[in-house]
Amino acid sequence: MPARSAARRTVIAVVAATIVVVGCGPAVTPPSVTPPSATSSAPPATPSQPPPSVAGRDAPPDAVLAAEGGDAVTGQLGTYTWFGTGSDSPWLTGAPLTVGSGEPLSLTVVPDGRIATWEVRDVPAGAGGPEEARTIAKGTGAPAFEAPGPGTWTVEITLDFAGGAGQASYFWRLKVE
Amino acid sequence: MITQRRRHRRAASLLLIAAVMAALAGPTTRIAAHSPDPALGGDTFAQDGRLLYDWRSGAAPPAAMRTAINAAAADVGESRASRAATFAYDSNGGNPIGYGTGTCGVNGLACFTRDAPNGFTMWFREQGRVFDWGTLKWCQMYTDPPNGCYDVETIALDELGHVEGLGHHVNYSDDSDYTDAVVQTYSRTKPKEGYNMHVLGVCDIAQLQIRYDIPGASSKYSTCLDVATVMTLSRSAASVVYGGNVTFTATLRVVTDTAYGRLSDNPVSGRAVRLQRRPPGTTTWTNFATMTATSPTGSYVVSARLYSSAEFRAVFSTPTNEGLRGDGSPAVAVTVGSCTTAPCPLSTGR
Repeated sequence: MPARSAARRTVIAVVAATIVVVGCGPAVTPPSVTPPSATSSAPPATPSQPPPSVAGRDAPPDAVLAAEGGDAVTGQLGTYTWFGTGSDSPWLTGAPLTVGSGEPLSLTVVPDGRIATWEVRDVPAGAGGPEEARTIAKGTGAPAFEAPGPGTWTVEITLDFAGGAGQASYFWRLKVE
Repeated sequence: MITQRRRHRRAASLLLIAAVMAALAGPTTRIAAHSPDPALGGDTFAQDGRLLYDWRSGAAPPAAMRTAINAAAADVGESRASRAATFAYDSNGGNPIGYGTGTCGVNGLACFTRDAPNGFTMWFREQGRVFDWGTLKWCQMYTDPPNGCYDVETIALDELGHVEGLGHHVNYSDDSDYTDAVVQTYSRTKPKEGYNMHVLGVCDIAQLQIRYDIPGASSKYSTCLDVATVMTLSRSAASVVYGGNVTFTATLRVVTDTAYGRLSDNPVSGRAVRLQRRPPGTTTWTNFATMTATSPTGSYVVSARLYSSAEFRAVFSTPTNEGLRGDGSPAVAVTVGSCTTAPCPLSTGR
């Protein structure tokens, strides 16, 4: 695991330093861009394979939510921008997590990632979108907030990563007892 | 209403600064509601650059989707209201747009990469894909599109906005300003309002104008902006004989401020600029003449014969149809000599 983390950190550094664009598009030679009056030149052939997965460092880190002493649950990654990449997703139902009402919850990102600002919104589970979402907490640094009242909620946590790395939304389906 | 608008403008002004500072600082920063889309990091494409795309070999979108993507590319050109890059299909385009089972993250329906000023890629997930959140339905894949489908043209316009360098617009908490931007964190599906927007929204355009500039000095500034202007006024003479002719020249520019990006210090022409006057020692201004646009760009001029001393100022009132904030120039005085040749009026003054 340490070796894996080190490798991941190396990749982050490379990405940050060069803003290499990969992500959901394949790692291809940068395509051509013509100036307004220029005639288009034949670009290099494009590969036929689909874009690679963004499960690695081509995407924001995982976000893990847990109550004190409870099992941590990785959130579903929704819409994000991450350096020169981005993906648009619908409002998600969320990864299931059971907690107690008012219980302190804390979020960490894995493997790492400095969080500049964060915001937590919730809607009753089953709501199809953010229209009824209410902000229940927001702040800077490491996210921590209290679970909402009893019921089942879809919780969206939006993270802005420090250094302008990007922004990502994560979802949990919170069953509050 | 006016108070509310002014409050919005003041808020927008602060938020504009925040947005631009974010753009200067790095990729994305979450900013408050109803301001220009935040800026993604990285460079911009060339002003008025023409980005040619083609279909990814072996992964071309279905014909109906290709048509919609091409329409979205045209939408950018028609609605950018800025010098942002345009998009066009070319069989040798070199910026591939693909479709299929490739991933856009676990849950994404479409995604992009941008490497300005060099190029971009784009990808659309396949029709009918079953996600945790449901089955992906593209409206254009149906003769009678069902509710819950995503409009390809709108989603493509969203992705093209990202390619230009736009981040997700931050809506009001109740999403009441949803249609101010196509570049949304959560795109809507049929039949919700805005699910099929085929033009860039005013807050998309606002950030494009900041990053790429407006097309020309007489072009309108997005109403999602609140850009301060500065007016100056000069006169051809500080004192003239009775009935002497004076030419007044005003200049109108955007305030010089890095927060305004490429809009900073822009000359502003084609606007309504009035020359006002007041008798020396008084405080009430009255309209005196309408100034006419002249060269150089951003200049306005009017000549008048004067029969009494007065102070003058040029005024650009805050317009209701664009995101410029009005300004008035400092006053300039013109002293007019006494009437010495009959006929003279009983009292001086025109």
